[in-house]
This record gives sequence, structure tokens and C-alpha cells, in this order.
Amino acid sequence: MSDDSPRDDKPSGLTRRALFKGAGAAAAAGAVFRSIEAGAKESDTVPANVQGPGTVPVELDVNGAKKKLEIEPRQTLLEVLRLPLDLTGAKPVCDRGTCGACTVWLDEKPVYACTVLGVEAAGRKVTTVEGLGTPEAMSSIQKTFVAEDALQCGFCTPGMVMSAAWAVKKHGKDLTEDQARAACAGNLCRCGTYPHVLKAALACARKGS
Amino acid sequence: MKAFKFVRPRTCEEASKAVQAESNAILKSGGIDLLDRMKEHVDDPDTVVGLVDAEGLEAIRIEDDGAINIGAKVTLQQLADSEAVQRFLPTLAEAAGLAASPQIRNRATIAGNLAQHTRCGYYRRASFPCVQRGASECPVKQDGAVQDTAGVFDDECVSAHPSSIAPVLGSLEAQIKLRINEVSMFALFDNLWIRRDGKPASHAQLPEGAVIEAIHIPARSEKQYVGFAEIRQKAAFDWALVTCAVRYALDPDGKIGDASVWFGSIAPAPHQSVPAMRALLGQECTDKTIQAAAEASMKNAKPVPGAAYKVKLAKVALKRALEHARGRS
Ligand SMILES: Cc1cc2nc3c(=O)[nH]c(=O)nc-3n(C[C@H](O)[C@H](O)[C@H](O)COP(=O)(O)OP(=O)(O)OC[C@H]3O[C@@H](n4cnc5c(N)ncnc54)[C@H](O)[C@@H]3O)c2cc1C
Ligand code: FES
Ligand code: FES
Repeated sequence: MSDDSPRDDKPSGLTRRALFKGAGAAAAAGAVFRSIEAGAKESDTVPANVQGPGTVPVELDVNGAKKKLEIEPRQTLLEVLRLPLDLTGAKPVCDRGTCGACTVWLDEKPVYACTVLGVEAAGRKVTTVEGLGTPEAMSSIQKTFVAEDALQCGFCTPGMVMSAAWAVKKHGKDLTEDQARAACAGNLCRCGTYPHVLKAALACARKGS
Repeated sequence: MKAFKFVRPRTCEEASKAVQAESNAILKSGGIDLLDRMKEHVDDPDTVVGLVDAEGLEAIRIEDDGAINIGAKVTLQQLADSEAVQRFLPTLAEAAGLAASPQIRNRATIAGNLAQHTRCGYYRRASFPCVQRGASECPVKQDGAVQDTAGVFDDECVSAHPSSIAPVLGSLEAQIKLRINEVSMFALFDNLWIRRDGKPASHAQLPEGAVIEAIHIPARSEKQYVGFAEIRQKAAFDWALVTCAVRYALDPDGKIGDASVWFGSIAPAPHQSVPAMRALLGQECTDKTIQAAAEASMKNAKPVPGAAYKVKLAKVALKRALEHARGRS
């Protein structure tokens, strides 16, 4: 038997002392699970909140508007945004948190909408690319993406814009290229428009809005 | 995903009771790993017990004796940004800040990260054979392709534990505070990976009904040298190929008196390298010692051909982690 496996008899951190005593494997003896507090708390027996498996009523706060909906617990925020709410900016591409096309902000922080349950987003602030600006009244970051030619096919763009906008919001005028790169590291662009995306983020930051 | 009932307990105790009371129930924290498994029908729970409303799990606290207590729902981004973690547990802040992507770090929690299941492609497709689902032999052993998600030891299951945070917690000798019903208990980090049937665990093995409540990192009086290194195919937005975290302290004679070496992504569970630790003890942390530890760490490696490259990567990761520790003053 090698001393790399199995794990049962292994020390948790080896000390010189233990080794010199010839007890290389003696440290972590004792019960596997050591009880530390046993409180007889009979108090709150309010049953936990239960939703589903069928549809349940929820109120979502999306782009500043309150939306009342009936959704199933298994529906992701991405599905809820696109189907009942018809906000098709966030794109379903991998549906596994590995591409970034569905990036939205949840309480002002970027997340993948495909990894969040719709019922868990209720009561929290959701911002999608539509919430930053509309084709008629674009936000600064959206205008800069156009000006800097920061898209080709455009499929990754709504997600990319959400990450770039967050970088500008977080770091302001002093946004560095490394910071912009780190902020957009969770967004893949199959067309490879990354240099222009970074340029757009930096240009938008310098404009100061 | 199959339709499921979503139960939202308000405390850890309620969560523990709910997973036991409901049929075919599973815990959910950030959901990055779990929803992925559910979408692939690797897990098809009837009930998901979500910790979303559970209180008291979101803080990083420094205790009176200097120990650090990290609530189960603390996100990887919180770990990376926390001044206390940066200052007292720098390798943890570093590893958390390098993991995955901003969008994942904002959701992924420390408890879910530790308990995430292997990325092995066979494991993660319900229709594929896998020893964890009863197949007689691990199909990775028959597969000639390059195996980024395989381990390097000759285990019955040659999957690799994907967490880049786990080796750091191992090296810091973290204890896992578990809650079962009204009772809280501590589990030693090593014990989270022991399967009672003797098979290698491809993910954390918690007692029935147990909910991770917090991660407890004990305080140490002597100066600690800590280092972390990871090797990735892409700079970001992927699991690492190999990670390594080390911690050591020096005796008054300048020799290493206490050492801990842990790897991630090279075995079904986070892997503590006893041979590497032995190679360090009683030595000064010279380049020669570091080289010897790197060689020792892989002396029992028996990789499938597709994962043989990881043996070299692991040695490099250990060298970098030790150099990182030595250089930090
Ligand atoms: C593209 C990509 C890249 C990634 N890169 C990295 C990386 O570089 N490094 C890395 O470490 N990880 C990486 N990950 C994995 C990610 O960090 C984990 O999936 C995440 O941390 C899991 O945490 P969660 O809170 O979402 O857990 P969940 O998905 O909610 O849960 C995971 C498992 O833990 C169990 N669980 C959750 N909470 C508890 C609890 N309190 N008590 C007991 N059991 C519990 C659940 O039942 C489930 O089985 C990556 C993921 C993706 C998609
Ligand atoms: S669709 Fe959500 S990350 Fe790809
Ligand atoms: S512009 Fe085509 S994927 Fe990014």
C-alpha cells in the first residue's frame, strides 16, 4: 500500500516531532466527527417556505420595473427573462455557466442568468442589457461598443456589454486594461473581438460615465 | 431539469431537517455545480433544499483566539476581496480570486465549492458508464484521449477533485463545521473524503443530513510560510489542470518543523502528499529541498497515459508553491 492512499490513516499536517517519534500517521486520531454543541432548541418550528414543484407566484424587479409572474422553481432566471418577460438580450448558448452570453446583474453584480433560479431572483434587483439603454437611447457603454466596432456577429455582445459596463462602473475613469480584461474574463467571443471590447471599455471609462 | 419542490429553510438546522424529511432531497447553495448536474440528469432530486434564505452563513469572522470562521455561503469573490482573508490567509484569497470567472465567483460559495462533484466527463453524463454509478471498471482507463479531468494515481476511480480552493483549506488544516439537526460538530478536513465502503470518493462524503455551516481555520502562533500555485490551460474561466497549496513553519534552527502539502485536480479527493511533507521536514527550504519534495510528491504516481503530463505539472506546481511560500516574508 502506498502512503499516498487510502486516506484514513493520514496525518493532517505532518510535524517533525510526530515524524521523529516514528508516528507519521498518528496525528488525526479520534472520532471522525467531534460534537461541539448540543442545544435542545425546540423554538422556531415554523415550517420552511416551500415552492412548487408546480408554478408559484413571484414578483421580479427587472430593470427597475416590478413584474408579477407565475413560474416553476426549475426555471432559470435566463428562461424567465426570455420567455414570459420577452427580454431576449441575455442569450442562451451553453446553459452551463461556461460562455457568458447570458450575463446579467443581480443586485448590481454580474452573474450568469443560466445558473440562477428564477424563484431565487425574486425580491432582488435584476439588470439586463435592455436596462442599460435602448437602441433609441443607448448608454455610454453601448455607444462606445458601436463606435469602437466591438462586435462582429453580436451574439456574445449583450453579455460582454454587461461585463464591460460593470468594469467601468466599478473602476471608473482609472479603469486599467488588466482590470477590463479580468472583468470580461468570463465572456467568450467566438468571433474573437476581444481587443475591441477592451478598447471600448477603456474608452467608455475615460469618457467618465 | 426535472420539476422539483424548492424548500427554503431559514436556518441551517431547518435545512438539515428538511433534507432528511423530504424524499430524494439535495442541498443547494450557489447552484453552479448542482444545476449543471441536474440539467444533465446526473442528479434528479424531487426536492431541492436551497440555502438562499438561511441566515447566519454569510460572514467572515475573526475569533478571539485569531481563528477565522468563514460562513458556508461566503462567495469566492467575498474571499478574494476580504481584507482579513488577504491579510491572514493570503493563499485562500489568491486561490479564490483566480478561480473560474467573475460571474461564477459572485455566486459560488465556499461550501458548494468544497462539495462540488468531479468534472470527469463520464461521471457527468448520466448515460455513460462510471464506477461511481456501479460500472465495474473506470472507463477513463480504457480511453486513450488526453485526460484533463483525470487523476494521476491508480485509484479505482481515476477522476480528479476539481476545487482549487480545497487544497488551500487542506494546507491550512481547516475544520469543517457541520450541522445535523440541533447539533453542530467539527469534521477534520481529511475526513470529508472518506467513503465507508473503501472506494475513492469523487466528492465530499458528509454524514446523512449534514449541512456545512462554516469553515474554521485555526490560528497559529508561529510564523507561517504559505504558498499557492496553479497550472491552467486558459488564464481564466476554466478549472485548473493542477493546483498545489503549501504551508510550513521553521524551527528555531531554521529548519522546516511543520509542513503541509496539498494538491488539487490530481486525485478523486483533494490530495495530501505525505511523501512531499516528509521530504521537507528537518530541512532548510533550499532549492535542493524543493526539488526533492517535488520528486517525492509524484513517486507513487501511476497515471493513465492521457494524464501522464499532469505528473510533470504537479511537480512544477509544488515547486512554484514552495518558492512562493519561501519568498513571502
Ligand atoms: C466555467 C467554470 C469554471 C470553474 N473554475 C473553477 C476553478 O477554477 N476553481 C474551482 O475551485 N472551481 C471552479 N469552478 C466550480 C465552481 O467554483 C463550483 O461549481 C462552485 O464553487 C460550487 O459552489 P456552489 O455554491 O455553486 O455550490 P452548489 O452547486 O450549490 O453545490 C455543490 C454541491 O455541494 C453541496 N452543498 C452545497 N452547499 C452545501 C452545504 N452548505 N453543506 C453541504 N453540502 C452542500 C450540494 O448539495 C452540491 O452537491 C468552475 C465552474 C465553472 C462553471
Ligand atoms: S448561457 Fe449562461 S453562461 Fe453560457
Ligand atoms: S461578436 Fe461574435 S461571438 Fe462575439
